[in-house]
Amino acid sequence: MKKTWLIIGLVCASGAVAAVLIVMYILPLDVKERSPVQPILFSHKLHAGSNGIPCLYCHRSAPNSRVAGIPAVADCRACHLYISPDSPEIKKLIGYWDRQEPIAWVRVYSLPDHVYFPHMMHIRAKIECSACHGEVAAMERITRTASLKMGWCLGCHRQHKASIDCWTCHI
Amino acid sequence: MKRRTFLQFSGMTAASALLAGCQSKNEKLIPYLIPPDEGVTPGLATYYASSCTFCPAGCGILVRVSEGRAKKIEGNPDHPVNRGRLCARGQAVLQELYHPDRLQQPLKRTGPRGSGEFQKISWAEGLGLLIDRLKELQREQVTDGLAMLTPQLSGSLETFVSGFMRAFGSPRHLSYELLAPDWLRQAGRESFGQAGLPFYDLAETRYLLSFGADFVESHLSPVQYGNAFGRMRQGRDTVRGHFTYVGGRMSLTAASADRWMPARPGSEGALALGMARLILDEALFDKAALAANGLRPEELLGRLKAYDLPRVAELTGLAKETIAEVAREFAGTRPSLAMAGETVAFQTNGPESVRAVQLLNLLAGNLNRPGGIYPAGAPVGPENSFGELMTLVNSMRAGQIKLALIKGDPWHGIPPATGFQAALDKVPFIVSFSTLLDDTALQADLILPDHAALESWGDVVPLAGSRHTVHGLMQPVVTPLFDTRQFPDVLLAVASELGGEMAAALPHTSYLELIKGTISKRVGGPKKGGEVEAQWVELLRRGGRFDADKGPGKGYRWAAASSLPDPARPRFAGDEKQFPLHLQVYPSTAFHDGRGAPLPWLQQLPDPMTTVVWDSWIEINPTTAAGLGISHGDLVEVASPQGVLRLPAVIYPGIRPDLVAIPLGQGHKGGGRYARERGVNPLVLLALVEESKQQAAWNATRVRVTRISAQGDLVAAGHPQGSYRSDLIGI
Repeated sequence: MKKTWLIIGLVCASGAVAAVLIVMYILPLDVKERSPVQPILFSHKLHAGSNGIPCLYCHRSAPNSRVAGIPAVADCRACHLYISPDSPEIKKLIGYWDRQEPIAWVRVYSLPDHVYFPHMMHIRAKIECSACHGEVAAMERITRTASLKMGWCLGCHRQHKASIDCWTCHI
Repeated sequence: MKRRTFLQFSGMTAASALLAGCQSKNEKLIPYLIPPDEGVTPGLATYYASSCTFCPAGCGILVRVSEGRAKKIEGNPDHPVNRGRLCARGQAVLQELYHPDRLQQPLKRTGPRGSGEFQKISWAEGLGLLIDRLKELQREQVTDGLAMLTPQLSGSLETFVSGFMRAFGSPRHLSYELLAPDWLRQAGRESFGQAGLPFYDLAETRYLLSFGADFVESHLSPVQYGNAFGRMRQGRDTVRGHFTYVGGRMSLTAASADRWMPARPGSEGALALGMARLILDEALFDKAALAANGLRPEELLGRLKAYDLPRVAELTGLAKETIAEVAREFAGTRPSLAMAGETVAFQTNGPESVRAVQLLNLLAGNLNRPGGIYPAGAPVGPENSFGELMTLVNSMRAGQIKLALIKGDPWHGIPPATGFQAALDKVPFIVSFSTLLDDTALQADLILPDHAALESWGDVVPLAGSRHTVHGLMQPVVTPLFDTRQFPDVLLAVASELGGEMAAALPHTSYLELIKGTISKRVGGPKKGGEVEAQWVELLRRGGRFDADKGPGKGYRWAAASSLPDPARPRFAGDEKQFPLHLQVYPSTAFHDGRGAPLPWLQQLPDPMTTVVWDSWIEINPTTAAGLGISHGDLVEVASPQGVLRLPAVIYPGIRPDLVAIPLGQGHKGGGRYARERGVNPLVLLALVEESKQQAAWNATRVRVTRISAQGDLVAAGHPQGSYRSDLIGI
């Protein structure tokens, strides 16, 4: 009798462990913030949307590097010396320049170290920026729209008949 | 509160704590404040060719630089010495650049010597202090009161530094390193009349006989010879080269051998001559080679009469059959190759033993043959730096030296038995050019920090890795991180400030200009401005000049006048009864002579034979250890006639029962947070045993080992006897 209870107990316990593991696998466990508050309330809607500035004008290393690049404080300042220099956010920007301090933006899109993602190859393959980054031109504050999970990468790679070999990304 | 509620609450707290732990903060993305002008694309790496100056082997390197920061060092595939390979020490040079304790600007001593109390000063003030001292020497007309201490330099730096000293009027430029191959140059001069180092054609040989030459980890050019050893074993379809190692301690090289012959320390030369006698006796020698070198076998045999097999077996402690078998194999396999290393050379009979090994090469016809031994392409270097060291110590002791300029760390690297440390303390003003506050810099009155190697210009002539003259170039791969200046640039600034003869002798505005001049002179070719510049850029891109002229050209020929080697019975410091064990100090695989100790990657690198990390240890044979009641990891005291040390014991089956061994490299007083007060420096044990004025026998000290306690605090990545016991993982 006692033995049966013991077995039932063990089965229950292992079932519970398995259930927890399965739930952990299914759940995104996507704990990083999707739309963090940035040190300056920079509006992509205003720059890319209303003013129609192309993405690559500011993120200029995307066509020839792994990373897209964020404009330097000096680049922002170059325009904003003349464009609405009195708005409070621009004053914040000029404040950074006066203190000679780079702006520590909060990273929204990040991949683990074991993934090699080159921007340049995707730009050369004529993938729209919005395919991964969403309708940035309509966003007041930048918000991550994609899950960045491996299945999501593979879906797009299959659709575009890009390589799905392990070594394509995990080099 | 009910028990049940309490449990519920504590469960919830634990769960929420766990979840909070899983959550990771978003990282920061920090762009430039001002974008760099050109050449830097974020995320895109640039590769620069340069040369490694960690040891004198002079391997070519490629450095990956990303966003203006050096990230990774690999071997340069085009470089004839290392062919794209690089050792752990070369890889770790990166950490010299980013060392958290690097000296960032000139320092002036404020406290007593050795206290480490310094005051930050500007370059103007630092140079001013140095120039004042030099002017004082000039005014008082005692220019030979200036001494310069450097490691053994190569290329333009060597000519430049000696030029500086000559122009100032002081003959006292000492380039001493404990492990420098002076002994091999001396032996080469005596046997062949050529003081250049040999090039061993390891890759093509079929039988290799190494007398204590640890070419896999440290001897002359370890990357070149390690790679060549691989090709000797596996590079040919039909032949797998055979390798026999002679030496009392099983080094990494010995562990790669087919046969290990643990000869008694100091008896290696007798063993070589015993083999030579047997080869002559059984007429296995190369007749043509002997005739070409003007030697007659009957006469040779007569001279080697004393080295008959029973006597040699008794001297070496090896079996007669083994000696005869190896001698027959060596002479019967063509081409074969015999090498001699530091272990053999650092005995009282070292120079003669090394020549005995060279005689073996001659008998087997290995001179100037593929798979044999050639003169290397590098020019000659110092042959008698030990004698110069002792002379300098005497003049320092007599108070003749008023100013010492020191590059490197001789305070740690010279055995105290020479009296160097005490004598240096008598020098009123010491200037150090170290990048870290190392043992020597701690004694200095003024520190003018040098650039890190990856920030420096330079040229390197590899010591022994090639038959051809290879001329490697060094270029800065990053903008200097701190307010430091390159050592030769400081000397140039001093010379121009002193004016007169000095400025006339060293008219260059920068060291870069000087190197450019040397290279364009050596390479020849175009003379017009634009073309010279294009040639320079091309050489920098490739990392130097590799397709160069054949070395000195002349092959080896036994100098007829020279007598045959006759190694006497070795002498040892310390009474045999009181100090029953021989001590061998050997270069650490990670630190070489100690210069690698400040780099944490190398501290964390497990020693290949004992797997010890972050420490020093003494290797003791299990039989000896059992007799002394010592077990693995115990703290022991090692006493020699010269000094006493305490360190943990490693029970090591790969060592003779009458021999103990301690690696060099640890036991720094300074050298930054990773090296300071870590392990022990075995040099304090070494007694000064001079057979000649030219060389000291650093492996001729006897010691006594006693157990102190079980608390050796030995940290090893694995167990040397290969069990699963591990102090790090704790299974």
